[in-house]
Amino acid sequence: MGYILNQLLNGICQGSIYALMAIGYSVIVGVVGMVTFAYGEVMMIGAFSAYYIFIYVGNNLPLAILAAFAGSFIIGIVIYKLCYERFFTAPRHISLLCTIGISMLLKNLAQIVFGPETKPVLNVVSNKTFNINVFGSTLNIRLLQIVIIVLVIVLAAALTLFFNRTKYGIMLRAVSQNKDASYLMGINVKRTALLGNCIGCGFGGIAGILLGIYYFSVSATMGSAYSMKAFAASVLGGLVDIRFSALGGLCIGIIENLGIVFTAATFRDIFAFAFLILVLIFRPQGFVSKKGARV
Amino acid sequence: MADTILKVENLSVNYGYIVALQNVNLEIKKGEIVTLIGSNGAGKTTTLMAISGLVEKRHGSKVTFKGQDITKMAANKIVHMGMCHVPEGRKIFPSLSVYENLRAGALGNKNMTKARFAELIEEQYALFPRLKERSKQAGGSLSGGEQQMLAIARGLMMDPEIVMLDEPSLGLAPIVIEDIFELIVKIRDMGRTILLIEQNASVALSIADRGYVMEIGKITMEGTGKELLTNPEVKKAYLGG
Ligand SMILES: Nc1ncnc2c1ncn2[C@@H]1O[C@H](COP(=O)(O)OP(=O)(O)O)[C@@H](O)[C@H]1O
Ligand SMILES: [Mg+2]
Repeated sequence: MGYILNQLLNGICQGSIYALMAIGYSVIVGVVGMVTFAYGEVMMIGAFSAYYIFIYVGNNLPLAILAAFAGSFIIGIVIYKLCYERFFTAPRHISLLCTIGISMLLKNLAQIVFGPETKPVLNVVSNKTFNINVFGSTLNIRLLQIVIIVLVIVLAAALTLFFNRTKYGIMLRAVSQNKDASYLMGINVKRTALLGNCIGCGFGGIAGILLGIYYFSVSATMGSAYSMKAFAASVLGGLVDIRFSALGGLCIGIIENLGIVFTAATFRDIFAFAFLILVLIFRPQGFVSKKGARV
Repeated sequence: MADTILKVENLSVNYGYIVALQNVNLEIKKGEIVTLIGSNGAGKTTTLMAISGLVEKRHGSKVTFKGQDITKMAANKIVHMGMCHVPEGRKIFPSLSVYENLRAGALGNKNMTKARFAELIEEQYALFPRLKERSKQAGGSLSGGEQQMLAIARGLMMDPEIVMLDEPSLGLAPIVIEDIFELIVKIRDMGRTILLIEQNASVALSIADRGYVMEIGKITMEGTGKELLTNPEVKKAYLGG
């Protein structure tokens, strides 16, 4: 019982990182209107940006998170220029293929620049653990887990406020719903799509370093598995709904960690993809209600 | 006679090999209601999209707005000059609330102040009381007529000098159509110029100062609203005898 409870906690913590990464992913797909396969590498770049803060500045978590956001934000500009800007009216598979190309390029460049080996990320958050008695079994909450969960909640809330309260938020949402109508509102659609892509990438970058902190390591090839998980989580929201994507991420985290209670840790990734396949079979359009879209 | 606000000369548009518009000429004066009528597929929507920069124009076309050549200007820049285009099929933002849709409309005006914004919102709510009641509701949950009103109100939020409406009566009940045309006259009386595209020729011509008739990508007739209403050819083709 204690084990399951602890796995549930692990699931919620990991799920909240997945949620953050799914939020970023659905912002990108929503605002740009095209799918990306370079997201895992964007996360990796964010993780390394923060890693070098840890190395050269020290264990300054806020600064590292800022660096992760900024590093991925900048890669977001590059990806936008190379993969999207000129292809808005082209067939969709063209920009999709471009993102696959960029993903390979970044992964290999990263192995050259950062080195191929896995790098340790240690002692960023102190190793404190709180033991709490729940119905007779012990729940071990690590300080790290609390930090991660709180951070994700704060970031998600900040993004929600940004989207709902600011002029740029309205612009981003308008562009994600109808690009032609957005032009007719005088919105600079391309610049708004660039901004959306970069914000989404920035969130991916933060998720990247949170995974690094959670698993105590970063590596040039860490992105691939997460890229697919972000995609899987976002499918729940039809790829574009932020709240449902976040929920999808949380679900995948919990399913993974409870799943390995009954199997083995090596089966972890199976659950995410089983989840993806099930959602695609039963609800390919996602779970967003169509109430808001009577046309 | 008042000044010309919008002038379209030799406007031609192709979609690939399909010729959609050929040498279209239009002139709209400040404060007028001008209507462009024609049957389905005549090229009316294409004309509006070409004016507002959403489709590419062929070489030799020229569009002048307030004396400035806007032929090659980007669509969002044209909006900033004070041109509002309420597109065919409304194209409101379905998951933005009614209020947020109106806020999005105001983005089209770079000189918007807080005070003017508040004034414009009140103006829309006075013109369209239904929108005030539903201000918090998602745009997509409105009825067809309400969505059309929202699309028009959203356009007016940018405080435009000219309002171009693409078939505002499409798919609406006759009673709602009457309301919308009354509103169009009101909007003109508030000092804006109107270019109205319609298949519903009788109503459009009855409120228009002048009208143009478009057939397969060309302007075939023009005249005052009255002249066209009583013109035997127009009667036969567009007014059911
Ligand atoms: N995106 C497009 N691609 C190809 N042909 C188009 C496109 N849009 C419109 N057309 C064609 O251009 C002509 C004019 O269309 P349109 O401007 O929509 O007419 P209207 O608004 O008067 O009904 C039609 O023959 C239509 O089939
Ligand atoms: Mg049309």
